[in-house]
Amino acid sequence: MSSKRIPRLGIGGPVGSGKTMLIEQVVPRLSSRGYRAGIVSNDVVSREDAERMRRNLATERGLMSEDLVVGLATGGCPHTAVREDPSMNISVVEEMESKHRDLDLILIESGGDNITTTFSPALADYFIYIIDVSGGDKYPRKRGLGIESCDLLVINKIDIAPYVGADLGVMERDAKIIRGIKPYVFVNCKDGQGTEEVTEHIIRDVLFEAPPKVLRR
Amino acid sequence: MSIHKASIEEISMLQLSDSFFPSGMYTTSSGLEALYYSNRKITDADGLRDLIKVYLEHQLGPADCSALGNSYQHIQRKDLQKLVEVDNIIFSMKLIEEVRNASTRSGTQVLRCVSSFRTDNSIMNGYQEAIKDKRASGVYPVALAVCSNALGISKYKAGLMMLYGFSVSMVGAALRLGVLQHFDGQRIIHELKPSISETVEKNIDRPLTSMWQFAPDIDILQIAHERMSSKMFIT
Repeated sequence: MSSKRIPRLGIGGPVGSGKTMLIEQVVPRLSSRGYRAGIVSNDVVSREDAERMRRNLATERGLMSEDLVVGLATGGCPHTAVREDPSMNISVVEEMESKHRDLDLILIESGGDNITTTFSPALADYFIYIIDVSGGDKYPRKRGLGIESCDLLVINKIDIAPYVGADLGVMERDAKIIRGIKPYVFVNCKDGQGTEEVTEHIIRDVLFEAPPKVLRR
Repeated sequence: MSIHKASIEEISMLQLSDSFFPSGMYTTSSGLEALYYSNRKITDADGLRDLIKVYLEHQLGPADCSALGNSYQHIQRKDLQKLVEVDNIIFSMKLIEEVRNASTRSGTQVLRCVSSFRTDNSIMNGYQEAIKDKRASGVYPVALAVCSNALGISKYKAGLMMLYGFSVSMVGAALRLGVLQHFDGQRIIHELKPSISETVEKNIDRPLTSMWQFAPDIDILQIAHERMSSKMFIT
């Protein structure tokens, strides 16, 4: 990773798995420790996610300026936009980087896609893949590049596991088998359970525990 | 030119015009999506072909294609200042903000990609410096001219490549919108070949002072698309 480049974190996962909510949990936690983040949200068909994050994190809570949440349309090809041809994303990230050199981190949220999503290393330095329990406890076992190769696997909506017949023990066992030593975290993005651990991973593995830029001046 | 050199030029042309080449153009529909959701919906392949012809003959031909041709002239004379002038003019002719942004984002990324394996081209390096210093925008037709020249592709072929690439991106957007099926897409591309060729011939040597574009209905369509709250494509 170039020392000049602001660290970039990619977040991918199926539609409705909780990518946006994870960001809404993690950004305030980073912010409370002084870390400043920008967000590029890839839209599949609507600007809703970007607009919600802008309203929630910038307008209402003042954790970032409104121009630090950018929505980007991907021509109906969300996986292509973060992997085979990330040109538009890279351009938008670089534009944000050149305007806001004081950012500690740029988060890139992929459009909701299937389990083969991965991020191009040219776009993201670290890749979180998020799934939820509603697809059943077979999800990690069924593999897919996203689940196998991400730096951190996040399993969301653990609160509804009993209602959809998902056994978290099975998911944990299979995640260990499929991913070896690579980490996974169970979360409930609705109430924040587990998202502190995700934040810790980001600070340790993406930011290498560097203090926030604002404290380094 | 030896057969070997000719084939390298042609392979380079195939490489740059391949939809696999990372230009990000698959994210744009040039306003087609707005048309799809409007009451003037395009319902068949022939309608789409005729629409693409309007773009080619009234927008991309006399403006982008001409900018590409002018860029070639200045590249070959190694006149970076004049090249930057072409960049500024064609950038200012792009009336729709999202179209302008998409063009510069594609252009700068294509440049970065080609310069990663064609490292010793002075005009390419100079143009990238100008973009970095914000003297130039990196708008697509100029960036493509710089890259094509660096790969030994002739001006005329670069023009063909640009208009072909645009036509393919429109057909691709239409396929994803469900306007037509895949064989129709290829038929349209086939039927557009004479129009692509004629448009390049007509505009590639057009002087900078005679560049024009006039397709107000398309401008309005693109403005409408830019403002859509729910959409798959960048305008």
